[in-house]
Amino acid sequence: MADESHRNRLDKLKETARPCFQCGICTSSCPVFRVAPELNPRLSVDSIITKGEVPREGNEWLCAYCLMCDQRCPMGVSLAEILMEIKNISAIEGKAPPDVIESAETLMDDGCLSPISSRSEKKRTELGLPDLPKADPADVERLFKLTGAAEVLEINKAASAEGSE
Amino acid sequence: MKFAFFIGCTMAYRLQFAEKSIRMIAPKFDIDLVDLPFTCCPEPNAIRAMSDDTWLTFAARNIALAEGKGLDILTACAGCHESLSLAKYELDEKPERKEKTNEILKEIGLEYKGTSKIIHVHQLLFDEIGVETLTSKVTRPIPIKVVTHSGCHLLRPERILHVDNAEVPVKLDLMCEALGMEPLDYMDKTMCCGAGVRKTNSVTSYAVLREKLTSMQMVEPDAIVVFCPTCFITFESGQRVANRIFDTDFKFPVFYYTELLAMAMDLPDTELLLNEHRVNIDLPKSEKTSEEAEVDLGDSVASSP
Repeated sequence: MADESHRNRLDKLKETARPCFQCGICTSSCPVFRVAPELNPRLSVDSIITKGEVPREGNEWLCAYCLMCDQRCPMGVSLAEILMEIKNISAIEGKAPPDVIESAETLMDDGCLSPISSRSEKKRTELGLPDLPKADPADVERLFKLTGAAEVLEINKAASAEGSE
Repeated sequence: MKFAFFIGCTMAYRLQFAEKSIRMIAPKFDIDLVDLPFTCCPEPNAIRAMSDDTWLTFAARNIALAEGKGLDILTACAGCHESLSLAKYELDEKPERKEKTNEILKEIGLEYKGTSKIIHVHQLLFDEIGVETLTSKVTRPIPIKVVTHSGCHLLRPERILHVDNAEVPVKLDLMCEALGMEPLDYMDKTMCCGAGVRKTNSVTSYAVLREKLTSMQMVEPDAIVVFCPTCFITFESGQRVANRIFDTDFKFPVFYYTELLAMAMDLPDTELLLNEHRVNIDLPKSEKTSEEAEVDLGDSVASSP
């Protein structure tokens, strides 16, 4: 994964993180850090700034995306953007956790992340709620392919198959 | 007022009674809701985390559908609201991303222009309709003490969403007051419910929930009021899971705000909403429907899972 686009993404990420002076308000505001200190946004940013690489441990996948860090950063660094980009790069490297892959597959199959079951449809009828128009599955699939998600899915499915062997 | 109604997957298929409550109050405020073939917003923690471009393009498709009808979008879920609003921000502020996205949308016959606004029911009720009008519609005040939780994705990033003050949110409290409730302040008011990490690491997620609920419990509220279906499910169903894991004893009733609004306006059939709740609360009964309501409540207790 040492190709040019990968390098460009890391360089951009480093630029976004540059104003950080490691004050740690992000970490002290993080609800996940409070119960699971292995997620430490300050250290994630530090790895980008000092080593120019995405942290190997992959703890960023524990981020609940509540944006408290982003809100409070005194330097206006968008921590949310940084954590999200770290995850994007990590996904291209085949390191997305199984639940993320599952969600992506559900979106591709149903266009929707909550299961549409006969029970959930029945509840709608019971409450007198309208039938909802659905997206054309062919469009959903096409967007998946054209935006690169289908490829990232394949990379991760291959990586997890390799990992389980 | 006419809107493209972005219900969101969670509300449409897991919290249908909350959707029902929005559809109950809408005509009373002259709001028309139009359903369009939307996909998932998409949810940022799974889809955007995997591919930012995919997230942006699906969101752009959703917004473009509303634009095609000349409608603004009304969201009901904090997550959907944030996702669509951030996508709109990206597309409107970064021409190169808009261009790239539109190249893809062209393949399915759509174009994102940037003409539709995105507004959450919270904003519609507080900023457009206003607390005074809400108060004037109340015929059956609800005299309970509540803690409110606006939801991370309605509050942050504040610089883009502008729903309320992200550090000291008060608007949902004022809307509760309008219905006769007493909102209580509590320590971790702006803290996350934990939902965002539930699928990746459930124990971590429920530990965050435990912290949040502990903070709420300190001020002894009668119920929790939210404006997001995901937060609703996390609080109502999640507290039982947290109890099992951490040996705690949370049993808060939870409400999506418009359910309480419908009850306070004494609209018919609100017992349909209450029947779907897993933790019940004694609210003053409506005179109009008290007999039916009692029968239905009995049934729901007997058959609840």
